[in-house]
Amino acid sequence: MSGKNMEEKVEQATDRKNISLPMSRVRLIMKSSPDVSCINQDALFLTTKATELFVQHLALSSYKNGSGKETNTLSYSDLANAAEESETFQFLTDILPKKILAREYLKSLEEMEKVDDNL
Amino acid sequence: MDGDSSTTDASQLGITGEYMAGSHFVLAQAQDGDEGLNDHEDGDGSKDNLREQDIYLPIANVARIMKNAIPQTGKIAKDAKECVQECVSEFISFITSEPLKLYLQKFREAMKGEKGISTVTVTEGMGEELTDETFTNPLPAGIITADGQQQNVMVYTTSYQQIPGVQQLQFS
Repeated sequence: MSGKNMEEKVEQATDRKNISLPMSRVRLIMKSSPDVSCINQDALFLTTKATELFVQHLALSSYKNGSGKETNTLSYSDLANAAEESETFQFLTDILPKKILAREYLKSLEEMEKVDDNL
Repeated sequence: MDGDSSTTDASQLGITGEYMAGSHFVLAQAQDGDEGLNDHEDGDGSKDNLREQDIYLPIANVARIMKNAIPQTGKIAKDAKECVQECVSEFISFITSEPLKLYLQKFREAMKGEKGISTVTVTEGMGEELTDETFTNPLPAGIITADGQQQNVMVYTTSYQQIPGVQQLQFS
């Protein structure tokens, strides 16, 4: 049983040797990390492929958890929600903050000040 | 200097100062005295400004992958595409730096050993569910055997091991 599953996975893997992302650009981004000198070609390919899978995973999870049923559109807030709720995407919380309208923020600020005044 | 623009980009990417050390490229000119084995960058001495298109992957490719992932009828907001672009760069930096830390740790341990009879493995930090806690087979790069010949041998090992007779260590 697990053998057949493995076969399917291997088939899928070999069928998808093609990658859609430019490896040169991935390499550039990798090099922006400190202490990186040279990058093994296999590691580069793996990283590129993993990035591709990451995009798919992120898009699909966000879409499913978000407003997919109603609006049929993947929006920024879907992504922000995914970052906050899923443990896998925790590392994205800094760059995916939830957006808030300025007036709502100012309102909540005022309320906080009122509470401080009352104390 | 273009330190400002890169810092702005770094903050957009949410990358802390730890990742991007305030400069565009980290040239391998042995600024850290520890790693004496850094090769020279292969012609990457370009000190050009890192434009926005350099630190992100092309949005068309990213959008295409996203489109193929979600059900056919779905649409994607423009700001969603842009922000996934940023997430992707963050992801790449993340998985580059994490295994690198492990590698450097092992490397330093190895260099403390006597007469350099040790191999250092470069681990690929690919976990299954995008966590960096599990690692696949580590691969050593090249080894120089006792008779001085360099062989670029890829040996699959499951753990850090010492190989007698290996004098020095180089990376391809």
